[in-house]
Amino acid sequence: MSQLQPVIQLQSMAEPLLNIQEMQFWLDKAVAWGQADSPDTQGDTCLHLNRLRDLLQQLLTNMNNTSSTIETMKTLPFLGQFLGRLCWNPYVTADATSRRLLFQCLWGLYSEHPGNAVERKANQWIRKVLCQLATEDDDAAAQAVMKHMGVPPKEYYLKLLRKRVALLQENIGKSCNSLGDINQRCSCDSILATSEACVPLVTCPEAAPLIGVLLQQPAKCARASLSEDFLDALSSAYSSQCSSLEEQTVISLWYHNLSSLEEAVLSQLEDVVTNKGSTPQRLEEQLAQSLLPKACAQHCSIYLVVKDIFRSILKQAEGVEPVKHLIQTFTSCFLRELALLQHQTSVSLKALFPESPQSLLLPLLTLPSEMPQEAWRRHLNWLSGSLQRLTEEEEGGDRDSSGSTKRHHKVFEAWFLLVQCGHWVQVAVQLLVTSEPEDCGPLLWLLTFYHHPTNQWHHRELQLVHAREAWDHLHSFFLISAHPLPVDCLQSLVSLLSSTQPQQPSPSPLLILNLLVNFAVFSQHSLSASTQILQAVVDQSGLVDEAACVLSSLQPRLNEGSRSSDDCNRVHLRITALQNTLIHSV
Amino acid sequence: MEAVLKNLASTAELLAVATQSGAVEQWDKQTLTRAFQWARYCEHVFNRFHNNPATRRIMEKQLQLTNQSLRAAFPGYTEISFSDLSRCQHLLLVGLLNNPDLPSSILKILFDSPVNTKKSEYQDVTGFCSHIIQCKSACKVLSPLTGVSAIGADAEVQGVMLMERLGALLSQSGKASQTEHFLDSVLQGCEGEAEHFCQVIAAALLTTKTSAAQTAAQDFLLDWLQNKHSELQHLCSALHTTLLTDLAKKHLKFRDAYCGVLKKWTSDMEYSINDGEWVQTSTNQTVSFKRLTEHFLALFEACPAQREDVEKELNALKISDGDFDVRGLSVWGDLLSALNK
Repeated sequence: MSQLQPVIQLQSMAEPLLNIQEMQFWLDKAVAWGQADSPDTQGDTCLHLNRLRDLLQQLLTNMNNTSSTIETMKTLPFLGQFLGRLCWNPYVTADATSRRLLFQCLWGLYSEHPGNAVERKANQWIRKVLCQLATEDDDAAAQAVMKHMGVPPKEYYLKLLRKRVALLQENIGKSCNSLGDINQRCSCDSILATSEACVPLVTCPEAAPLIGVLLQQPAKCARASLSEDFLDALSSAYSSQCSSLEEQTVISLWYHNLSSLEEAVLSQLEDVVTNKGSTPQRLEEQLAQSLLPKACAQHCSIYLVVKDIFRSILKQAEGVEPVKHLIQTFTSCFLRELALLQHQTSVSLKALFPESPQSLLLPLLTLPSEMPQEAWRRHLNWLSGSLQRLTEEEEGGDRDSSGSTKRHHKVFEAWFLLVQCGHWVQVAVQLLVTSEPEDCGPLLWLLTFYHHPTNQWHHRELQLVHAREAWDHLHSFFLISAHPLPVDCLQSLVSLLSSTQPQQPSPSPLLILNLLVNFAVFSQHSLSASTQILQAVVDQSGLVDEAACVLSSLQPRLNEGSRSSDDCNRVHLRITALQNTLIHSV
Repeated sequence: MEAVLKNLASTAELLAVATQSGAVEQWDKQTLTRAFQWARYCEHVFNRFHNNPATRRIMEKQLQLTNQSLRAAFPGYTEISFSDLSRCQHLLLVGLLNNPDLPSSILKILFDSPVNTKKSEYQDVTGFCSHIIQCKSACKVLSPLTGVSAIGADAEVQGVMLMERLGALLSQSGKASQTEHFLDSVLQGCEGEAEHFCQVIAAALLTTKTSAAQTAAQDFLLDWLQNKHSELQHLCSALHTTLLTDLAKKHLKFRDAYCGVLKKWTSDMEYSINDGEWVQTSTNQTVSFKRLTEHFLALFEACPAQREDVEKELNALKISDGDFDVRGLSVWGDLLSALNK
């Protein structure tokens, strides 16, 4: 009968959060965990930690809604017993979140102004439990040694913990000795058990080296697998920034746990979309800090996953400029990390870019700085021609529907590679500033393709015509110093920039803006005249922020090119001056 | 020095108040933080001066005076000694937690779990207990995984700590009697846990970091052990054979002492006609003839050079017993034939 009592009393509660069967289940669990000390019960505690935290949170909410301890005890008579049992379960008290919630629950039972004997007794009990937990020890031998050697318990336990961690670390590091025989015992058996035991320790700084070894041990045999609960616990501790993991451990976590990798990539994307004002330098720093490029360079499989995420984001929003910037910056960070590792790893480019058109791979991945400046134009013309051929081949047979998805796929992959290697698009725009009318065709095509990869309604031709028109205007502004400004030309440029009719295929405003800014920066036109043109067009089209963004993206590239320092200085000064003008026009 | 003595006296008073006075009711986080700062200060004082007999004596005298006046003020006051200073924070904590007048707000600070457990909060009292509980619990969680080894991780850690204390004592005081006294008091303190203490000693003797101080400390410990006959015998019967042979391999002194204990055990044996077996005559040692043989064989395996010397010695003893080759007449003769089976 007495067993049923809590059940009946629970039923009278208005709070539907705590289900009776569930509560009984937990009470039974707590009893079972306390009774047996077998590896099975230990594992069971670890596996239930997550749900236990939720329960403690619910209990806490429940207690906060009641007015006094006596009332709580009436509605939850088992609570004291339950919490008391948990206090002596090391798996629960080792886990930072469970421990915090458990103590909060105890405080929930504590009465600041006890009104009766029951409440006074509860207070005494809570104080006693806490005192015992912090100062008493069931290991009498250790206590005697500590006392007589004059060692503070805090120091002793810290040392003991480090020792245990070191011993286990050594054990895990031992090589597998089963020789593939599945029936033979081997040291790998302990890996699963150890990873399970580490579930409550994911936020414990002293356990970090052991966690690192667990994650970084090479897959030795089939039994050397890690507990999923461990990986999940680690992943959530990492994302809530509670863990103290080393760089290499984080990378290994991503390698083992897809969802934590996904989360890390998505948080970068989210950041770049929400913080539009971020400069390219900041973005690069931020990416380096994220460790993602490093992780990608170390593990081909991580890179493929990251790229898959980028790919699917691009498919949903091909024109989102910050995302394209992120992908481009990410790729250059990745390539840098890869170059650092080159003598250690021997992953082929084909393995890293399996879906990209192989003929374009090396030419696009080559950095402009790795090539003499005089060769840029020829290189770009070749790239443009190759891409043009590829799109014509793939888009040409669009009328027969069979295999058209596959062809779209090929064009998309070529474009995706171009986005990743966006540095060549930047060079193309810059070269367009000094191009003559007869040789700007291929470069304009490349630029148009970059901004309009999907040839919807077969409009690329028309977009190309408009891009050409814009270039003609800019060419005449900046090369033929015409004073005063030809108002009609200016007007048509503005209208090209601000055209929003979807039926009228006009080139992306960003394409034209990019051209405009590059002309303003790189042309030989006087600074004051350039400023005047830029400001007039930007003011009238209302694209001040976008222009500022393009301007700041030119800055970091100055340092990597093979530009002479004089030239570099001149360009740098022009960028700063133009930036100041834009700031003041806001 | 005067100022240090005054601070020591104040901290002793602070401990008494924390443990026994209702004044803690007025404490807040700042008071608590300051109290722990003073306790830490005393730990520093201990570490700085415990090897310095002259200073130590002066401080002990000061503490005696303070104890006297505190005894008058607080009935049932527990005195504080100089060596207690090494764990002053712990004593403060125990005192506070057992004081029924301690406000719950202070308890909450001590048992709080700061979400961000970064190292910078080292000086902060917030979560002081929570951190201890975490470490203790984590040790327990990992303990079943470490597997069975001859020496437990706990004994190993305690062995290292023992070496550190010995090293520090020997490097400064120069007076062997003080160090001996320290070991005696540890031994006495571990009376109920003699088996565990044997493990700690073994772990201490097996620590591998070889500095001059460490070697001196191990040497001192070996000498001390040799003079404690019953302790040495207990150690030889309690520890695992592999551990004993490891010790014999590492320390010549221990090898000789171990050999001596084995020979003593042999000489203490009498032939029981009823059992047809050699048995121990002394009351407290329960080593069988078979076990004794195993000890010898393990020792020979670990130190092959020892075999010839010991066998020569046993042979001489056998001859002095009459050199009969009949079983049950000379324990030395029977041991020799058991060893050469």
